[in-house]
Amino acid sequence: MQYSILLLFLILTALSALVFTFVFISSKKVGISGQGLSNPLQKRFWFLLILFVVLGIFASVTIPRSPYFLFADEVPARVVHVAARQFAFLLSDKAIDPENPEGKDSIEFLANELVEFRVTSLDVNHGFAIYNPSNRLIAQTQAMPGYVNRLRWKFKEPGKYTILCLEFCGMAHQVMRSSFTVK
Amino acid sequence: MESIKLRKITSLWILIVLVLFIVNIVLGILMRLNQGEIIHQSPITFYANMTTHGLTQIGIWFVAGMAAVNYLLQRYVKTSYSANVVAMVLTVIGILMLWSSTYIGKFHAGWTFLYPLPLRIMWAKWATPMFFGSILVMGVGWLTWSVSMMTQLLKKYPLTRALAWQHFKKNPSTQTPPFILITMITLIGIITCLLGAVLLLAMYSAEYFSNGTFVNDALLMKNLTFFFGHTIANEMLYLGLAVIYELFPEVGGRPKWKTTWYVALAWNCTLVFILTAFFHHLYMDFVQPVGFQIVGQIASYMASLPAAGVTVFSVLVAVYRTPIKWSLTNLLFFIGVAGWVIGGLGAVIDVTITNNFVLHNTLWVPAHFHTYNALGNVLFSLAFFHWFSIQFTGGIHKEKFTKLILTLLLIGGIGFLLAFYIGGAESIPRRYSNYPAEFPMAAPLAAGAALFATIYLIAILIFFFNISKRCLNVLFSPS
Amino acid sequence: MFKRIILSFIAGSFFYGTAAFGQVNPADWKEEANIYEKVYDVSITSNKGINLTFSQLYNEKPVLLALIFTRCSGICNPFLLQLKENLQFKSDTGGFTVLVLSFDPRDTREDMILLSERLGLKNNKQWFFATTGDIEKMNQSVGFNPVWDSARSQYDHDAFLVGINKEGYITKKLLGLRDKHELGLLISSVHDIFSPSYRLPNNNQLFSCFNYNPETGKNAPGLGLLFLALPAIIALLLVLGISYNVRHKQV
Ligand code: HEM
Ligand SMILES: [Cu+2]
Repeated sequence: MQYSILLLFLILTALSALVFTFVFISSKKVGISGQGLSNPLQKRFWFLLILFVVLGIFASVTIPRSPYFLFADEVPARVVHVAARQFAFLLSDKAIDPENPEGKDSIEFLANELVEFRVTSLDVNHGFAIYNPSNRLIAQTQAMPGYVNRLRWKFKEPGKYTILCLEFCGMAHQVMRSSFTVK
Repeated sequence: MESIKLRKITSLWILIVLVLFIVNIVLGILMRLNQGEIIHQSPITFYANMTTHGLTQIGIWFVAGMAAVNYLLQRYVKTSYSANVVAMVLTVIGILMLWSSTYIGKFHAGWTFLYPLPLRIMWAKWATPMFFGSILVMGVGWLTWSVSMMTQLLKKYPLTRALAWQHFKKNPSTQTPPFILITMITLIGIITCLLGAVLLLAMYSAEYFSNGTFVNDALLMKNLTFFFGHTIANEMLYLGLAVIYELFPEVGGRPKWKTTWYVALAWNCTLVFILTAFFHHLYMDFVQPVGFQIVGQIASYMASLPAAGVTVFSVLVAVYRTPIKWSLTNLLFFIGVAGWVIGGLGAVIDVTITNNFVLHNTLWVPAHFHTYNALGNVLFSLAFFHWFSIQFTGGIHKEKFTKLILTLLLIGGIGFLLAFYIGGAESIPRRYSNYPAEFPMAAPLAAGAALFATIYLIAILIFFFNISKRCLNVLFSPS
Repeated sequence: MFKRIILSFIAGSFFYGTAAFGQVNPADWKEEANIYEKVYDVSITSNKGINLTFSQLYNEKPVLLALIFTRCSGICNPFLLQLKENLQFKSDTGGFTVLVLSFDPRDTREDMILLSERLGLKNNKQWFFATTGDIEKMNQSVGFNPVWDSARSQYDHDAFLVGINKEGYITKKLLGLRDKHELGLLISSVHDIFSPSYRLPNNNQLFSCFNYNPETGKNAPGLGLLFLALPAIIALLLVLGISYNVRHKQV
C-alpha cells in the first residue's frame, strides 16, 4: 500500500515538475517579441471542473473504505482491551482497571479471525499502530484518555506483529511498544 | 518619513527571520544527525530541539509573511507603524520565552502541545507556564498586528469590496486588487485561529490553576489545538501567496493581475473551508463522529484546491510563452509555486482517510509539510526579501550567485525531502529521537537527509550574506 | 486592552470551572469488563408464570437485562422508571426484550408481578419481570456485585443495565443512571451495529463536542462544539464591528 502511494506521488511530482520546466523553457525561448496574456487570472472553468471531477471520484471511492466502516457488520471472534500509558501498552482479554492496571504478557490470535481492539489511554494521548511481520504499518488508531476507540482487523499473515506508539507522548515515546503473535 | 520607518522595520524583520531560520535549520540538522546515529543526544534534548524548531519555524514564517504583506499594503492603505513594532517586540520576547522554556526548563511536549501532555510535568515546573506564556505573548502581538491591518484595510475598502463580492456580478464597477482580496481573507482566518489559541490557553489555565478540580475534555482540546495549529500553518502560506499576486507580474515586467469572479470565488471558498479542514488531524480518533471525518476530507480538498488551482494555473499561464525578466525574485516565486504544488499533492494523498490509516504520524507528514514550507512558502518569503533588498540600491546591484543559490536549494531540498518521503513509505514513525531496530533504513536515511539539509543550509547562508548587507544598509541609512 | 480581556476571560473560565466541577469521579472502567463474554444461561421464572432459560429468551430477540430488587429504597425505582420512559421514545421497540431480573433471593413471583403493575407494564409483551434461583452465577457472569448492608437491610448497588445479543454475548453495559443516548448505543450494540468508539462514563461531559444519538444516527452538538465555533463567531463579529465602526466615523 505505502509503496503504491509513493509511486503515485512520484509520478504526479514528475508530471508537475515537467510542466513547470516546460513552461519555464517556453518563456525563455519566446524572446522579447512575444505577447503573453494581459491578465492570467481569467476563466479557467474547465480546469477547475476537471480537478473537481477527479477529486469527487477519488473521494467517493475512498471514503466508504475508511477504517470506521471496517468489518462493521461482522461479529468479532476476539476482543482485546488495550490501555496505553507512559510508556507502555497493556493488552488483555479482560477489561483493564486503571487503579490497578494489568496486562497479559503474550497475546495470540488465529489468522483470519476478526479481532477487535478497544483502545484507551490512562494518561496522555498515545497512538496504537500495528506493524506486520515485515514491519509495515497496516492499521492504527489513537488512544485518547476518557474514550475508547474500537479498531477491527483480520490478520492474514502468521508471525510476530509489533505495536508502536504513533502519538508523541514524552521522552520515552520512541521506545513505547508491545507485540502479539498470529498463528 | 513614514515609509522610511516601515522600510527600516521591514529590513529588521528580514534579518531576524533569516538569523532564526539559520539557527532552526541547524536544529533540524542536529535532529536528523541524532536520528542517523551520527551524534548522540538524550531524547529530552532531541524533543526540546523538535519543540523549539517547530514553533520557531511556524513563528518566523508567519511574521515573514506578515511583514511582507504589511510592506506591500502600504501601496494601498496607510498601515500602523506602532502595531508593527508591538508585533516585533512581542515576537522577540515570545521566542526568548520559548527558548528558555525548552532549553533551560527542558519543556518538550512538541509544538502542537497536545493536551494533556503539557500538564504532565516532566520538566521544570515553571516551563509549562513559560511555554504557554510565550504563545500568549506572540499571539497577542500577532492579533494586534492583524487587527490593525484589517482596520486600515476596511477604512478604505468596505467589507464586501475587500472580499471582492462585487466581482460576482457582471461588469463590476470597481476593482478589488487580488492582493487586497487575499490579504483580507487571510487576515480574517488569522484572527479566527488566534482567537482559537486564546480559548485553548484559557482552557489550559483553567485546568492548571484549578488543582485538579477541573478537567478538560481530551477530544475538545485536540480539536481546538488543531483548529489553531493547522489553520495558522495554512494562513501563513496564504500570506506568501498574496505577495506573489502582487509582485510576480511586476517583477517580470508584465501588467498587473486583475481580480475576476473566478479568483474571488476561489478565495472566498478558502475562507470558509479552511476552518473545517483541520478535522483531518483527527482521522485516527475514531471518537470523532464519522460525519466530521468526511467533512474533514472534503473540506481539506475544498480549502486548498480552488485557490491552488487558480493560483498555479495563473502562474503557469502568466509564464507560458511570455517574455519575462527573470531574476532571483521571480525564479524563487516560480520554484516556490512548484514546491507548493508538489507538497500539496503529498498533502492530498495524506488527507484521504484510507491513506491516512497507514500514513498518519509517519515521516510522510513532515515530508509533505516540509515540501510546501522549505521549498514553497520559504521561497515566497525569500523572494520578497530579495526584491525588498534591491529596492534601495539605486539599480546598481549586480545579481551574484543566483544560479548557485537555486541549485544548492534544489539539490539540498529535494534530497532532504526525499528521505522523509521514503521514510513515510517505509512506515517509519515521525517524532522518534532514535529509530527502533525494525527500521534498518531509518538511520541511513536520516544521515543522508542531514547531509542534504546542510547543502540547503549553505544556500541559505549565501543568500543571507548577499542580502544582509543591503538590509543593514537600509536599516542604518540616515532617515 | 487585550491583556485585560484575556485575563478576565481566564479568570472567568477558571471560576466557572471550579464551580461547575467541584467533584470529578475517575472514569469508570467497570463497564468494560465482561464485554463479548457469554452470559450465564440462568433459568428464570417470569411474572407471566412461565419457566424458561435465559437462552430461550435471548435466542428469540436480543435482551436488555436490568438487575434490581423490589425492596430497594434507592436507585431501582427511578432506574426502571427512567428506562421505561426512555424506551417509549425509541422507534425500535419490538426488536428486543427487556428482562427485569431480581437479584434478591427474598423476591418472589408475586413481588415481581406487583412491580410490573406499579410500573404499568403488567401486560406489556416486551417486558419480563423475573426471579431466579441461581443469581450468584448470573451476577458473576455480568460482573455485578451488590453488597448486603445489614444495618440498613438494603443492598448497596448501582443501577445496572446489560445488553445481550441473540448469541448470548454481552455487548455493552451501563452503570448508573445514564442518558437516553447511551441507552441508544446499548440498543444498537445488541443488534450488533458497530459504533467505532464510545466515551467512558463519569468524565466531565460538559465540554464534549458531540453527543451521539444512535436513534437518528446523528450527532447532537454539545457545548464543546459551541466552543469550537466560538473563535469563528467572535472573529466574524469583530470584522463586522470594525467594518461598521470605521465606516461610521468616516461619514
Ligand atoms: C532545511 C531545513 C529544515 C530541516 C533540516 C528540518 C528538520 C526537521 C526535522 C528533523 C524535524 C523532526 C521530524 C520528525 O518528526 O522526526 C522537523 C519537524 C518540524 N519542522 Fe522542520 N526542518 C526544516 C525546515 C522547516 C521549515 C521551513 C519549517 C516551516 C514551517 C519547518 C517546520 C517544522 C515543524 C512544524 C516540525 C514539527 C515539529 C513537531 O513535530 O513538533 N521545518 N524539521
Ligand atoms: Cu505513547
